[in-house]
Amino acid sequence: MLPLNDTEQNRYSFFPIMTVILIVVNCFVFYIEMFVIKDDYWPFFMKYAITPRVIMSAQGAGALSNVTAMFLHGGLFHLLGNMLALWVFGRRVEDACGPWRFLAFYLLAGTWAHVLFILVQSDSRIPGIGASGAIFGLMGAYLLLYPGGRIRTLVFVSFVPLWPRIRAIWIVLYFVGIQIIPAIQILLKKTDYSVNHWAHLGGFFSAVFILLFIRPEAFARYLSDTSV
Amino acid sequence: MSSIEIQTAIQAARAGRKAEARALLIQIVEIDPQNEMAWMWLSGLVESLEDRIIACENVLTINPANQKVRAYLEELQRQQKSWLENKNRVDAIDLFTRAKEHADRNDSATAIRLAKQALEKYENYEAACLMIGKLSSDTDQKIEAFKKAYQINPSNKETASALEKLRHLKTNPLSAAARLEQLGQFEEALKAYHELASKAKNSKEFDHIYKQILRIEGLKRENIRYVAPSSSIARLTFTWPLLYLSLALVQVGLNPFAHPVFYLWLGLPIVIVGSFLLSLAEVRSNHIVWQKLFDERGDGSQFARLVTAAAGWFFILIPHILLVLDSLGRLQNFVIPPMPF
Repeated sequence: MLPLNDTEQNRYSFFPIMTVILIVVNCFVFYIEMFVIKDDYWPFFMKYAITPRVIMSAQGAGALSNVTAMFLHGGLFHLLGNMLALWVFGRRVEDACGPWRFLAFYLLAGTWAHVLFILVQSDSRIPGIGASGAIFGLMGAYLLLYPGGRIRTLVFVSFVPLWPRIRAIWIVLYFVGIQIIPAIQILLKKTDYSVNHWAHLGGFFSAVFILLFIRPEAFARYLSDTSV
Repeated sequence: MSSIEIQTAIQAARAGRKAEARALLIQIVEIDPQNEMAWMWLSGLVESLEDRIIACENVLTINPANQKVRAYLEELQRQQKSWLENKNRVDAIDLFTRAKEHADRNDSATAIRLAKQALEKYENYEAACLMIGKLSSDTDQKIEAFKKAYQINPSNKETASALEKLRHLKTNPLSAAARLEQLGQFEEALKAYHELASKAKNSKEFDHIYKQILRIEGLKRENIRYVAPSSSIARLTFTWPLLYLSLALVQVGLNPFAHPVFYLWLGLPIVIVGSFLLSLAEVRSNHIVWQKLFDERGDGSQFARLVTAAAGWFFILIPHILLVLDSLGRLQNFVIPPMPF
């Protein structure tokens, strides 16, 4: 299941400038990782990714690494997957918030994703990277603001590609659902996964804060039980 | 004949038989309307104030040099004026009481009509002027009413403030329409936008106004709930401090007691102030900041909003920059651990 595009129109703004800027910055940072840092990635990741043990001992770049980690990616598909989701779910969330508050919410969701990751895996010395925590925050926010939204999604039925408009709730529930079992395994068995499931859940639950970030008119619409 | 009858009438008057004297004198002036003496005595014997004035006027028509009667007429006219004023005042109070009842029932049109009638009866009726100023949807009428109220009572600061606000809105009609929307008066806002659209100077201005009309019509159609600007400002004020607080927590390893960095927490109130100013610049409201800092009665001019937003960003960014500098400082002393695998 691959979400491709949100089929609904923007209400307040024409162009999701901050979403595009975030995508461009993520791609630029990935270019730096690939062509400037190259194989010397360990010291780079230790400095600029989020490592629970380093954070808990109040060493390293702390809050700065919390932000920079959101812009680091482990591979091209990691980057592309995240950027596609950022575009799909970020555009209309930005429309409801305005660009600057959208940026603040994005960073907040990423931070709370890292906070949950650090709390659950506080002993881990493996650095966490990626925008997915923040993007799960956007998915949660999208669900709260546009429960009836539909997403054009690429699905394969017996190797046949189809791209129906699926209700966002099913897509979000699918992506959150597949985090739960691995997250429980990490908690109970201290299993290490290459995917940061707890960060995803942390980001998703931080979506409750979205109501503080949306425009006054969007908030009035939300209170009036009409589409934001 | 008439001199005998006059003497008889005067004697009757002196003896206290006023009705008899009056009847005689009336007979005399009916026969001889130019009889000055008869009119003079009649002016003291008729009962109503109006009749006394008429009698005096007749005396003065016959003999304009009669200074005694002229003085008496002036006194009578003063009395009449005062009586009329009292009567009008009572009528005006009655009309205003009715106007108030209609205003309480949200029937503004009737309330304004009655308040206007009260003003016609008694032109120095401040409360009636204030009622028209408050209830009227027409800016010109509002200004006129408050101006009159201010002339009647220049010590009323509320009237002066309302008048100044209205004058500001009159010179900034777009701002006035937005202000009506901000107060949740969608109908009045629509009316104001329609009026502005009809006066638009070019197609660009018309498009802008038309968009506002469509938007407000949408809000009305969808029955969107009104949210007070103050609550929007309070809500939006939480945004940046929440982010700063989360970043500061990460900076101290999620344990502020184990790794106390005092100055980080000093940044929080600064970010709160910055976030508040930023929200204030975005949400239209009659906040005290506009009056105190910019001496503006309205909801903040373009300049005031720009300055407030710039100050907001300054207060938000400074603690965040200090946070980053603290991170960079720590990074310089950071010993990179070996790879765990």
